Amino acid sequence: MTATATEEARRGRKRWQRYSSRTFYLFVSPWVLGFALLTALPLGYAFAISLTNFNGTSSQWRWVGLGNYVEFLSDTDAITSLVRTLAFTAIAVPIMVAGGLGLAVLLNRRLKLVGLFRTVFFLPSVVPVVAAAIMWKLIFNRDAGILNAILEKISIGPIAWLVDPNAFYALIILILWGLGGGMVIMLAALQGVPAELEEAAVLDGANRWHVLRHIIVPMISPVIFFQVVTGIIFTFQIVIQPLLLAHSREVGQVTHVPQSTHLYMVQVYEEYFANNRYGYGSAMLWVFFVVILIITLIMLRSSRLWVHYEVDSEAER
Amino acid sequence: MPQPPHHTQLSRRRFLTSSALVAGSALTAPLLGACNAGTESGDGKTVLTIMYKNNELTKEQIADFEAKNPDIRISFIEHDGTRLNAMLASNEPPDLVRAPAVGSARTNAQGLATDLDPYLAKSSVLKKEHLLPVNDSFRWDGKRIGHGPYYGIIKDWSQDATLWYNRALFEQAGIQPLSTAEPISYDELLEIATKLTKKSGGKTEAYGLGVEWAWNLFAPISTMILQQGGEVYNTDLTKTDMTTPQALRALKWYVDFAKAGVGPTSLDPAPDGADLSLFLAKRMAITQDGYWYGGNFVKESDEIKNNIAMAPAPVMGDKRISPTYAGWGAYIPAKAKHKDEAWRFMEYYMAGPPSEDRAKGGWGIPALKSQLSLMPQELPYQKQVFETQQAELQHAGQLPDSPYIGGATAWDPVLDKHLQRAIKNEVTVEAAGKAITDEINELLRQGKDQIG
Repeated sequence: MTATATEEARRGRKRWQRYSSRTFYLFVSPWVLGFALLTALPLGYAFAISLTNFNGTSSQWRWVGLGNYVEFLSDTDAITSLVRTLAFTAIAVPIMVAGGLGLAVLLNRRLKLVGLFRTVFFLPSVVPVVAAAIMWKLIFNRDAGILNAILEKISIGPIAWLVDPNAFYALIILILWGLGGGMVIMLAALQGVPAELEEAAVLDGANRWHVLRHIIVPMISPVIFFQVVTGIIFTFQIVIQPLLLAHSREVGQVTHVPQSTHLYMVQVYEEYFANNRYGYGSAMLWVFFVVILIITLIMLRSSRLWVHYEVDSEAER
Repeated sequence: MPQPPHHTQLSRRRFLTSSALVAGSALTAPLLGACNAGTESGDGKTVLTIMYKNNELTKEQIADFEAKNPDIRISFIEHDGTRLNAMLASNEPPDLVRAPAVGSARTNAQGLATDLDPYLAKSSVLKKEHLLPVNDSFRWDGKRIGHGPYYGIIKDWSQDATLWYNRALFEQAGIQPLSTAEPISYDELLEIATKLTKKSGGKTEAYGLGVEWAWNLFAPISTMILQQGGEVYNTDLTKTDMTTPQALRALKWYVDFAKAGVGPTSLDPAPDGADLSLFLAKRMAITQDGYWYGGNFVKESDEIKNNIAMAPAPVMGDKRISPTYAGWGAYIPAKAKHKDEAWRFMEYYMAGPPSEDRAKGGWGIPALKSQLSLMPQELPYQKQVFETQQAELQHAGQLPDSPYIGGATAWDPVLDKHLQRAIKNEVTVEAAGKAITDEINELLRQGKDQIG
């Protein structure tokens, strides 16, 4: 009798294991398939192309081994655009994250019409990037743009926003236009901060800055970390905005992108579609993939120093 | 909790194997499907895949062709260079593709287009003797353009260095309008443009001259070099030299033009990247555009129509050359599945009703000799333009085309980058010419390496 019960319990555990594993694989399979088809396969294909001199159309390509990677090391245009992209990211991401947090703090209050303000600040982030870029191109126009018209009232300008070196700042302003997306995520995080913690700090004499610095920021640091990592990846991959802001007759024309906004992905785009160097362009993408991977790993490593999780990792073990 | 009676645990290895099989099937299915795609529709008609622009090939024209060719159904694809490359690379190209004659050497050298000579020989409506010489840019003899078989036919074209101007702005500035018969020199043109430019408080109220900087730099600079008797490429089209006196003079003119601030450039961009809106707003006195530009004015106010005129292409040397910068038309890919049907469409589109409508519309010079008389002359400005254009035809030259580089698409980023540096006085024009030479020669070397 006891042996039968034990056997039955063993079978039950086995059935549960089967059910759990089957359910697990069933649920992850769409992602795994998507990853295999849409990420791993193109990555592998791009790597294979990066070892050739393929021009996108000709069947007369040949293997060049690591030649494209070696060429990259002495390609001053590519290296310069990489450094420029790092600089752009170093400036844009802190502003994006701080701006999103600042707006979220401002709108995380019980005020009249706060819903309206949240909507107004969020709306630009849902405007399609092409529409936003074209709108800003008109706003930035030196002779007829509204920005210079306003600045003129206070005796500034006219400023040629869309040419070097100002195009760099114009691009940052365009990127900040979509700040509302980050603001919403920050707002959600702020609303998860227990009010009693803030109240206790205030009772202990903390001012607003102290509360923000020592209570709110540590509490929402995982979300800030997420915003920083995704922000870095987003700014690294910027390509369409510089193309749209440039002096061009049609979307996608890389010819007249100012040097200051000639970011790494613009350089890749030029190699692919202006120079028809699919092999070299693919090698540049792989180099960039590695750079992003390294920076993300550094970010993950550094997160131990400043990101605070409510569940202690040691205790979790 | 479900408890199936006999069920083996799904191992990680089995799961990954199954995933790979599913992924493989998912990939293979469309590829296999593509092998048969676009050949025959359910009703037994041949499906002809055409990659074109929807404002140049209308639904009405497609319907008309299908009505006249009941055995063919057209599958229209909007022109997309990236998609075309993918289709060509996978040996699944469209049956007919929109393309410019200028720059076709690269396509033809790679064997991507069909030799149209046998079709031209058999056709009763589209024959070699019907074609204007501009179609020679679509010819390729294995070494250079202009000779050998035709690999494409031009739809319509323009001599893109001609000048359009607004007489009213000349009168306001007290300047004699440009001659509609005799070409002006580039130096005189820059001088007049400077006088026509109006500036105020750091802003430009009216530009004297637009050269469509964002559209093309390679073609006009090449034209200037040819007009001086120079060459853009060496004889085997594998090298360029932009440090020759002719090339440097052309580059210098562009630098002087930009420094004078008389027209939009990359350092003083036009709001929408083109001259038209400024020209129509009377904020630009002269714009360098081809015959096709006249199509823009038909529906404009009388004030515009009564004041515009077209002048011959300016010159920079002894040779009066006024080439087309593009010459848009079409070719039949070498791997197209329905070449005969594509040729029937080519006959319809290049020599049938659409071509006549285009010729009458004034949006380009027809590519067939027989249709030149159809060019519009109803409006006063159209009469003047017709006369100037007829004389200009005598000077239509041919731009150089190397199979080892993608024409203006590859040249323009390099030209623009180094011209900007010269304009900003970061380098001399000579240094810019040297840098352009080095970069383009490297691209030519890579192109030669790719094509062989």
